[in-house]
Amino acid sequence: MNQAAPAPRENQGDPVVRIDARLKVTGQASYPADIATANVAYGALATSSIARGRVSALHLQDARAVPGVLDIVTYGDMDKTDTPKFGNTGASSIGPLHDKTIFHDGQIIALVVAETFEAAEEAAMLIRADYDDEQPSASFDSKGTSTEAAAGKNPMLKEDAKAGDFDAAWAAAAVKVDERYSTPTQHHNPIELFSTTAMWQGDQLTIHEPSQNVTGWKMELARQLKLDPANVRIISPYIGGAFGSKGPMTARTAIVAVAARRIGRPVRCVVSRMQAFGAQTYRAETRHRIRIGAGKDGRITAFGHEGWEVTSRPDPYVVGGTSATARMYNYGSVLTHVALVHADRNTPGYMRSPPETPYVYALENAMDEMAVALGMDPVEFRRVNEPVKEPIGGRPFSSRSLIKCYDQASEAFGWSKRDPEAGSMRDGDWLVGMGCATAIYPTAAAPCAARVRLTADGEVRVQCGSHEIGTGVRTVAGQMAAERLGVGMEKVSVEMGDSALPPAPVSGGSISTASVCSAVMMACDAVRAKLFAAAAGKDGPLAGSGNAKLDMADGKIVTETGKSAKLADVFKAMQVGAIEEYAEFAPKGSSPEALNKLYAGQPEFHGGESDKDSVKYAFGAEFVEVRINSRTREIRVPRIVGAFAAGRIMNTRTARSQLMGGMIWGIGQALHEATEIDRRAARYVNRDLQDYLVPVNADIKAVDVILVPEVDHEVNPAGVKGLGELGNVGTAAAVASAVYHATGKRIRDLPIRIEHLIV
Amino acid sequence: MSDAKISSGLSRRMFMTASVSAAAAMPLATSPTRAAQPASAKPAQPRDLSAVSMRINKQSYNLALDNRTSLLDALRDHVGLTGTKKGCDHGQCGACTVLVDGKRVLSCLSFAVMNQGREITTVEGLASAGGELHPVQQAFVDHDAFQCGYCTPGQIMSAIGCINEGRAGSEDDIREYMSGNLCRCAAYPNIVAAIVQARDEIRRA
Repeated sequence: MNQAAPAPRENQGDPVVRIDARLKVTGQASYPADIATANVAYGALATSSIARGRVSALHLQDARAVPGVLDIVTYGDMDKTDTPKFGNTGASSIGPLHDKTIFHDGQIIALVVAETFEAAEEAAMLIRADYDDEQPSASFDSKGTSTEAAAGKNPMLKEDAKAGDFDAAWAAAAVKVDERYSTPTQHHNPIELFSTTAMWQGDQLTIHEPSQNVTGWKMELARQLKLDPANVRIISPYIGGAFGSKGPMTARTAIVAVAARRIGRPVRCVVSRMQAFGAQTYRAETRHRIRIGAGKDGRITAFGHEGWEVTSRPDPYVVGGTSATARMYNYGSVLTHVALVHADRNTPGYMRSPPETPYVYALENAMDEMAVALGMDPVEFRRVNEPVKEPIGGRPFSSRSLIKCYDQASEAFGWSKRDPEAGSMRDGDWLVGMGCATAIYPTAAAPCAARVRLTADGEVRVQCGSHEIGTGVRTVAGQMAAERLGVGMEKVSVEMGDSALPPAPVSGGSISTASVCSAVMMACDAVRAKLFAAAAGKDGPLAGSGNAKLDMADGKIVTETGKSAKLADVFKAMQVGAIEEYAEFAPKGSSPEALNKLYAGQPEFHGGESDKDSVKYAFGAEFVEVRINSRTREIRVPRIVGAFAAGRIMNTRTARSQLMGGMIWGIGQALHEATEIDRRAARYVNRDLQDYLVPVNADIKAVDVILVPEVDHEVNPAGVKGLGELGNVGTAAAVASAVYHATGKRIRDLPIRIEHLIV
Repeated sequence: MSDAKISSGLSRRMFMTASVSAAAAMPLATSPTRAAQPASAKPAQPRDLSAVSMRINKQSYNLALDNRTSLLDALRDHVGLTGTKKGCDHGQCGACTVLVDGKRVLSCLSFAVMNQGREITTVEGLASAGGELHPVQQAFVDHDAFQCGYCTPGQIMSAIGCINEGRAGSEDDIREYMSGNLCRCAAYPNIVAAIVQARDEIRRA
């Protein structure tokens, strides 16, 4: 047993090795741009160099003259297709080749297709555009932005959460914190580049592209290209990191498909790292005003959270994390408001815990400030404000193990050794600081279908159109089948990442394990029911046993009394070679159209704060030690401890890895990541992995993940709460609080860098 | 205002068009490929194909390649070994790391023509013919040293280089000498644990 494979505690599954581990360490796992494609031509994008205006002329002659150039797709060539739509499936309503209007820097102006990658790139570089350009508005405080209330503009935020009389409670509060916080633009930067490979056979279109939503994309691409969805297939067997960036389809997919149809050959377009900053979505920058009022006993009486978020001109993308922050503690009264600021930028999108990362950062940094103002221990302050019911709708939590998480993490961390006085702890040249914060993520599930086949030799095949983005969903789906059908993992194969498979929802919102495992469990139970009926039937090998007493283990059907029948004998009695079951899972509270919507690529989410009976969240507590060099102000994070409770843990290995990765993301958000913007030109400046800083190996030392046992039967049949996005919520606030503890300086704008600590 | 501007995205390849002729003019080994030797009267052009021969995973390859083709693109698009990954094409992420004559090299920053006669090892060349994994590969499996798996081939090749260079003495050394390989899933602590295990196993062997 090593650290990567924690021993399971109550309600936790074995740390089974990833089902695709061998493929991934031998280079055999095929990511979409790896799939061998005969006679493929190469595409390269040309993108705008202005952020606002119109293309008045495009000069293509130099590009066309490059030997090997086959075609250039540009304005006019997409006219027979429909424009993209903004929503859960589409990244933006901007159809870059439908309209010569430039909405943002880096907007696609042409796609060059050539015999070789080198020729395509050379030609794309030779495309010149004339622009009628206008002064763009880059971000907050830029002239020319427009601001509107977010509520009601996007289904993600129907209304601003509020409760009680905030104004009165705020006016009467004995102790107050009223501060402003901000988070920067961030780009997902998965290490796999974005790519599209399109190929036609007659009217049938196949797309190889890394996707978190193959069913949704199939429907959306069919709509744009006016095809029967049955003729569109999206294949994405392995995805090289996604973090939300491969959830919504971008305009490029249809453009590459049109190029492939025009030249009558497959076309592969791999987007450069630099171009991806404008061609894909990103995390919107946000600003926050937090007001917390409390009595001298530390009980919060008033909580106000106002948020401002940057989005593109045409699309109302909403971050909207107030729905979670408003339900975090027992506030008494709550007032929230979210505003959108439209600027000349590409449309933002989901990035790992999209609402919670920035909004909980602001809340938790303010909570630490309030604990300081009250002279209270930050853990005790949270304990005092632990709610029985959520403050907005008065509903209970389906389960809430936050205090257990604080207890277990603080003990492992050694919080009791912390001297509460800021600037009091020192080790040689290093100032030592310790901070903590709460992690929260809504627990949701969506309809999902799965097909499971069991053959007489005990081989199991699971098919589900979900997506292996690195979470381990392929592994845990296999584990669920192995467990229910009583076979070893070596007998199980799992197929995912293909829109020809039974549909699964978008792999976002941390819903996959819950949704997929619930569907796989249903299909397995249907297989079991057939086998049990046959085994216990009058001619079966276990005749006389009741169904309820049967189980499957070790490749056999077993009774409570210790009798057993080999699978092969039951199949023989049934006179079949294979049993295959197709199951459709729909979460409690699903509408009558829920399954139709799954097939239409528009799955309903249930859970979180949307259910009537209870609110559903996973929680965690994170503790960080920072060391800041007293001379250089270099900031290091030697250790971080997180304890998380997320219902049934399917696999302690993959769960730990996801939470660990999330916590490291949180460190990156606190100290490294920011997309810098040239405010004059509304252009991204640091568009590569040299200047867009992400944590590297040397930035990270001890990361300790504690999986706190929790049982929650209410959330979904599998009892699973998603945790892929939980780990990086709150982390940045814990780091900021630790920096304050080390130095006495409260940094409220992320990322925290040396220059903020020098003066 | 209306002026012509070049489209965004500065390309290394554009920059190189002027400077590769020296590489193209290098003496080439006798090659059976269709690539013509540059005619003596005509100076080599950047877009000309060159004949390149190299050994990849202990097999000989004779290739006809655009002088601008990176070793990475040669492996992926011309040899069909897609285990080596493109993550940035700028030498910033490490996903394309391979061994060239036993030393770790970023294959995206190496023109294929520069590798004439070299011995290339990619992730596909590590496991034994019988399928037994290399100790580093096995350690990555044991310690869950990846999630999405995309940076993994580069991490593994870099880890082998790191151990061979004697830079894997301490965990701090491993962190430092593996920091050219980004893992966006952030499996770093597991990568370090895997390299420690593999280092000890390789030392024992």
